[in-house]
Amino acid sequence: MRWILVLALLGCALVARADFDYGLQPRQIADGVWLLEGSTDNFAQNNGGNIVNSGFIVTAQGVLVIDSGPSKRYGEALRRAIATVTDKPVLTLWLTHHHPDHVLGNQAFADVPIAALAATTALLAEQGEAMAENMYRLVGDWMRGTEVVLPTQTLSPGLLDVAGRRLRLLGLRGHTGADLAILDETSGVLFAGDLLFYQRALTTPGTPGLDVWLRDLEQLQALPWKQIVPGHGPVASSAAPFTQMRDYLGWLDSVMREGAAQGAEMSELIGVAIPPRFAAVSLSRYELIRSVSHLYPRYEQAQMERVDR
Amino acid sequence: MDGRSLLLLALLAWPCTGWSVEGDPVTSVMWNYHHARLLDGAPFVFDEQVRVLLPPFAEDARQVPILVDASAYRGQVVRILAWAELNPIAQIFDFAPGAEVLPRLAIRIRIEQATPIRAAVLTRDGIWHVGSSYIDAAGGGCTAPSVVRAEAGWEERLGQVLGKRFALADSSRLRVQIAHPMDNGLVGGIPEFYLNQAELRDGNGKVLATLELFPSVSENPTLSLEVQGEGETELWLRDNNGNEFKAAL
Ligand SMILES: [Zn+2]
Repeated sequence: MRWILVLALLGCALVARADFDYGLQPRQIADGVWLLEGSTDNFAQNNGGNIVNSGFIVTAQGVLVIDSGPSKRYGEALRRAIATVTDKPVLTLWLTHHHPDHVLGNQAFADVPIAALAATTALLAEQGEAMAENMYRLVGDWMRGTEVVLPTQTLSPGLLDVAGRRLRLLGLRGHTGADLAILDETSGVLFAGDLLFYQRALTTPGTPGLDVWLRDLEQLQALPWKQIVPGHGPVASSAAPFTQMRDYLGWLDSVMREGAAQGAEMSELIGVAIPPRFAAVSLSRYELIRSVSHLYPRYEQAQMERVDR
Repeated sequence: MDGRSLLLLALLAWPCTGWSVEGDPVTSVMWNYHHARLLDGAPFVFDEQVRVLLPPFAEDARQVPILVDASAYRGQVVRILAWAELNPIAQIFDFAPGAEVLPRLAIRIRIEQATPIRAAVLTRDGIWHVGSSYIDAAGGGCTAPSVVRAEAGWEERLGQVLGKRFALADSSRLRVQIAHPMDNGLVGGIPEFYLNQAELRDGNGKVLATLELFPSVSENPTLSLEVQGEGETELWLRDNNGNEFKAAL
């Protein structure tokens, strides 16, 4: 295993926080709804992968947790953080999608049902090991002991009653092909998962297409939400995250569509100017480089024809 | 000592010794080795005018886009060699653009780990002008299982070419993608099977440029060349099993 070596090397030189404390501070954003907000940076030794928003809803009988974070340590810290605001037991963990920063804390919830869309479980089974290995490479010892734990229950889109609290589940596809969004109808809080990034550039590995993603956003925005929790970035009570996402997705799409029509090389596209209106969006250059790698081949092929004879 | 043990030795020595060469714009312990092996130790200069454009990191180590541009030496270029220093198969291409073809080539490659990428441009005065860049990578691109071979019916698509000609200000850009697994012999006991020769020809069959390819080139190779004039061109390709393919652009 390559990461063991990497870990051993990092172990000596590491200047990270010696106590590996994520410092999770639950913040109440609505009646019974709590948020743990991560940074809008990239995975790094100094954040332990805490670049993600997770949350939980305290119902009459217990706690529904949404996403488990990037590591076993995070999952355990999340359990402790929940215990600081309620004595009620954790009832279940729901996963918005299979990306490592949202699911690698699952071990800390092995005592309760872990639920996700069926396709999310399939994607995690397929890609989980490789994603975990990559996380070890990126954030090092924060990951110690972390293993992939697959969901034990399947969620289906529709209305669901959890201990008297009505939740609307949407099964969408734009970010990974299997993306769960959760609207808490009681509070109007929409947990959008990574269908929404705000002030942080969106990531595209596994997207079925930016057009699919744009259609998902329309559907999400039309819901009766009062507050939005994006997968990454600050909470909002206006439609600003939707506006920014649509603008950004449209820009990304046009960069690649126009580039392909002009015969641009990938190496040229990754250097295009990022419009000033996205100056506040963190990691836009980094994610542009990644998105061109993920998506440009499709745009190129749409321009090409068979020319062999 | 064979090449692989030399490579290994060099890697082990990396943290302790400074084998890097004066004036080298990238950190490298392999320059002397490749200079001797690929350029026969001939006179060279590190030269920023030979541009090696690539991403700072490999998002997909199996498909890393590189663009080598020696337009600054247009009219003087004899050959362009490109290689990825720390790849198990270092060489990428050996390109001889004729008078009508620009000394510029874009291609996608596999890399096994973070590595310097070099493009050495031989000009008529016998000097190698060496452009350099560095790419970071999680790695494994050379030993990853084939994506092409996992697709049903890939044999029927072998040698199919997708392409398009794009009109630029005073030339045309020819972009193609050729269906081929480009097996490099490092994966799952599958022997080397890759496109190793290409020629760009004009309508009368005259050779405009020759290109030798190595199996560090990605599966389903993507190539981009620039040629002067409006005339129809033909791209001829051959793999190491003797299969020949042609495309008109
Ligand atoms: Zn995600």
